[in-house]
Amino acid sequence: MFATFTGSWEEAHKAVLVPAFRKANADAAMVLDPMLSVDQIAKVNAAKANPPIDVMLHDPGPALVAIGQDLVEPYPVEKSAYYKDLISEAQEPMGPAPFFQVVGLTYNPEAIKTPPTSWADLWKPEFKGRVGITNLNSTLGTGWLVEIAKMRGGSEANVDPAFKALEELKPNLAAVAANPGALATLFQQGQIDISPGNFNAIQILKARGVPVEFVAPKEGAIAFKTTIHIVKNSPNRELAFKMIEAALTPEVQTALMNPPYLIVPTNSKVTMGGEIARVLAKDTAELKQKFVFQDWKKINEQRSAWIERFNREIKI
Amino acid sequence: MGTAPASRDVTSYGMGLAAPLALFFLLFFVAPLLQLFWLSLHNDTAGLHWGLGQYLHFLTDPFSLGVLGSTLLLGAEVTAVCLVLGFPIAWLYQRIGPRLQTIIILIVLLPLLTSVVVRTFAWIVILGRQGIINATLQSLGVIDTPLRLLYTQFGVVIALAQVQMPLMTLPLITALGRIDPNLDDASCSLGAGSWRTFFKVVLPLSLPGVIAGCTLTYAAAITAFITQSLIGGGQMLFMPMYLYQQASTLQNWPFAAAISIIFLLAVLAVVSVFTTLGRLSRGYGGA
Repeated sequence: MFATFTGSWEEAHKAVLVPAFRKANADAAMVLDPMLSVDQIAKVNAAKANPPIDVMLHDPGPALVAIGQDLVEPYPVEKSAYYKDLISEAQEPMGPAPFFQVVGLTYNPEAIKTPPTSWADLWKPEFKGRVGITNLNSTLGTGWLVEIAKMRGGSEANVDPAFKALEELKPNLAAVAANPGALATLFQQGQIDISPGNFNAIQILKARGVPVEFVAPKEGAIAFKTTIHIVKNSPNRELAFKMIEAALTPEVQTALMNPPYLIVPTNSKVTMGGEIARVLAKDTAELKQKFVFQDWKKINEQRSAWIERFNREIKI
Repeated sequence: MGTAPASRDVTSYGMGLAAPLALFFLLFFVAPLLQLFWLSLHNDTAGLHWGLGQYLHFLTDPFSLGVLGSTLLLGAEVTAVCLVLGFPIAWLYQRIGPRLQTIIILIVLLPLLTSVVVRTFAWIVILGRQGIINATLQSLGVIDTPLRLLYTQFGVVIALAQVQMPLMTLPLITALGRIDPNLDDASCSLGAGSWRTFFKVVLPLSLPGVIAGCTLTYAAAITAFITQSLIGGGQMLFMPMYLYQQASTLQNWPFAAAISIIFLLAVLAVVSVFTTLGRLSRGYGGA
């Protein structure tokens, strides 16, 4: 049982990862079960001795929660054929990252003729009432806040500058979406013209004909490691391991990188191509240079306080 | 009393038939609720230390109380809009031919046949910057720049009122249907004008329906997570979203449990006000 995310991730995993795994493992049975990270954690927590899920997929925040609650096993690195080929940021001993999620600037090219280049562009007076952001419930919203803090001299431990910056952003804010998915609707409806956005979500919108473009800001695009874990006490440990191995192979990652999925690979043997090469990075070296990774351990420590502060201060 | 044994039999049958549902509720509603309550009595997220800390935190925090207050207020606004708009429809329903009645029932029920998500998305299209309302007003020259309708309290109230309207209209139609039309005529022939007849005869007699409609609409409006978050956005915080944030994003289950219990009690208080009014109105209607 592999718990994946809902939506486009599920489609991608069903079409590419599952067939690859079955081919490599004599048609071993596996079930894809799309659910949110928090639900995965809750389900495993409810039956620790005999977990209903063998493989979990997590954003950086929930991954640390799962590790903190002792729900996952260390990845058998020495047995793995592909782990060493992953770029160093993806090598996580508690569960490697089979792909990255990338957050940059999203804009409507019909309304904004000069592409934005920096996070600071969101504050430009010409975007009065045109900017959308999300609240801190999402990984995207929280990661973006930290990036803004860094831009203004803060860090993962100090986001005060970001909250000050948000105060200045208020005249420009058209919407604070409850989740990143809602931002997509707002672009479609012309409610906003520019916002921080997830690379993959934007590609889906683009494919549906919505006028949106993605640019990596010059401060660096925010990269989230989405990590994949063997659940502790899994009765199918061996298959779980093989399943993760399949997700790390250059073949699967290349297939997932191609349209329509455009999922950013982590195996350095994968040659970047297509849209990813065009807007993100041509190779691993450029990727490392252009991506910003954040310290989610530090972020998690204060995240609840930030959410509380965001609740109180951000009213438009 | 000769009929007493027979009526007792009827009651006992009733209880027997209700047993499966009662068992179902006991298992899948009361038990989880008790578990929730138990969880809310812990001061730490691991659930090791007993205490009332979570409740104290909520009840002494002006921000949390503000969220509770604005949620209850939102419910009141939505209920008021539904009542004002729903009553004339229900009243009309009782006074027109059967063919038009079918049309009204269809229109009233139609929203129930589509999912809340679809209905809410429709409202995003209507209220958006380039939505129907703004486009019309702009082409008429009434406004120059689009009005901000989406992500406002006004937008949430309007969308919720439409989404929950059937819950108000249906009980009203039933209640108004129970009123003997001759009472109207009697009132008029005794010299009362139509407004006086309405306020002195129709409205009091329809109160049970009004109360039932208000209770349903209110409860549905304040718990409508989807509509609240899609139309209200991320900066308008109501209790359901607050709860979700604590439980899901922050994994602070004891506080989320305490929020649920407080919310539940607040809703129960409002609903019991409604039912008390209902009981009083029955006495009034019977007199």
